[in-house]
Amino acid sequence: MKNNLAIIGIGEHPTGWFPEKSFMEMYVEVIKQTILDAGIDKNDIEAVVFLAPLSQPLYSAHLTFSRTIEELGLRKCKANFQVFGGGSSAGMALKAARGLIDSGAAEVVLVPQAQHYSEVTAEERLRFFSQDSGQYEEWEIPYGITYNSVIALIAQRYMYETGTPPEGLAAVATSLRKWAQLNPNARFRKPMTIEDILNSKMVSTPLHSLECNVLSDGATAFIVTSAKKAKKISKKPVYILGEGHGGVTHFSIVQKFDRDITRFGFDRAAQAAFKEAGITLKDVDVAEIYGSYPAIDLIHFEELGFAKRGEGYKYFLEGRTWPGGDIPISTNGEIQQGHSGLGVGMAVLVEGVRQIRGEAGERQVKDCKIALVTEVGGQIMDSHVILLGKELR
Amino acid sequence: MSEGVKKPLPKITPVSMPFYKAAKEHRLLIQQCKDCQKIISYPKFICPYCMSSNLEWIESCGKGKVYSYTVVMGGVPPWFEEDLPFILAIIDLEEGARLLSWIVGCDPKDVGCDMNVEVAFKDLTDEIALPVFQLAK
Repeated sequence: MKNNLAIIGIGEHPTGWFPEKSFMEMYVEVIKQTILDAGIDKNDIEAVVFLAPLSQPLYSAHLTFSRTIEELGLRKCKANFQVFGGGSSAGMALKAARGLIDSGAAEVVLVPQAQHYSEVTAEERLRFFSQDSGQYEEWEIPYGITYNSVIALIAQRYMYETGTPPEGLAAVATSLRKWAQLNPNARFRKPMTIEDILNSKMVSTPLHSLECNVLSDGATAFIVTSAKKAKKISKKPVYILGEGHGGVTHFSIVQKFDRDITRFGFDRAAQAAFKEAGITLKDVDVAEIYGSYPAIDLIHFEELGFAKRGEGYKYFLEGRTWPGGDIPISTNGEIQQGHSGLGVGMAVLVEGVRQIRGEAGERQVKDCKIALVTEVGGQIMDSHVILLGKELR
Repeated sequence: MSEGVKKPLPKITPVSMPFYKAAKEHRLLIQQCKDCQKIISYPKFICPYCMSSNLEWIESCGKGKVYSYTVVMGGVPPWFEEDLPFILAIIDLEEGARLLSWIVGCDPKDVGCDMNVEVAFKDLTDEIALPVFQLAK
């Protein structure tokens, strides 16, 4: 039986650079915060579905072998395992939790994540994003491929086909920065202009350094249960109204089956999610998009139906996506919060929950009833849409 | 370049060996399914269209178009720094295969999407040559 699900607790450690802290300290702090936020007993948790820390195989092993259970004394836990679906791991963990809840294996599931990049050397971080995160050793690594250049290849073709100007991509980053400035958990909170971006170093045409990710430390978590259970134990449940999937399409961007690297399937994912929720795009009050780079965010935005292809950038330039705008996009600042590995996909989901609860502080979108969250991983290999709402429909 | 770190050469596997053996002779091979006739790229063990294991290599004419490209100016592993800037590109060959490669021998300003290119070869060692591309004359 498919249950309606509710997120009943969230937690977030600020994103930044915290070499003085340890991985485990950030991880257990965020779990404690999430359990307190949910207002439940820690022994209500019956399963832990944790997200993989990137480039930190030791911690991945510790968590796999149940360290979470021991650190927090989760005495009633029946299942503990890792989910690793690249950047869309938060959405994947939600699906795994649904499986546990629907099968009756666990009623209340904790999904925690931490990333402590400050203890990973710069060389190892670069190695991960150029060799250890899904690149062909036979065909791609010998040409010096990196994640930045993969995104640059997508952006170049997208700009060629749609006529989107460089200012259009930069406007996405400045819009996100405006939101990050209002987010106490964000790493990048100084004002940034389109000129700053266009004058920053060119990394891989058309991608400037200020449009690239900055790897950061961070930790996030949520607790999910059935709507039925949530009504009994939670004062502020946020319901999952619908989920949609555009497909898992490729390993290498060069080898995408449908060959068009500028389309990701978020149109299909959104339609499926809207159908399940019984709503339309017009009902969405806020969209928490995780695209990871400006060009990718823009393609999400257009595929979701907010703008016609090639016209999305105008919304970001004109301020419609900014704080106070009529289509608020990624109100935590998304990548301007800092790139905490698999934490970015978690952070947009957690921010969606905050918006529905009305707890987003200066970033709060008025009368926010429906939040749309996107998840994507790998070389833009999949597309997932999650709809959150205050009331079950 | 970091001491002791060498540029990664293409990994030679049963499926990449025929390709790089031909590349050493400056010939560009692509894989085709003998059952469904589809071009398979990148080369694989099993046809991803019909699951046949009956695959063969055919020689490409070496001509194609730039599907997309990027002038890489930084953010690469240390062993690629000596090559900066380089033009990384997705090339669509006339036969239908698609490859990641470099465009060489031109000013980066002269490259654009959908331009015609032809294969050339860059000898990395006595044993290994990488297919690269030049703008068509």
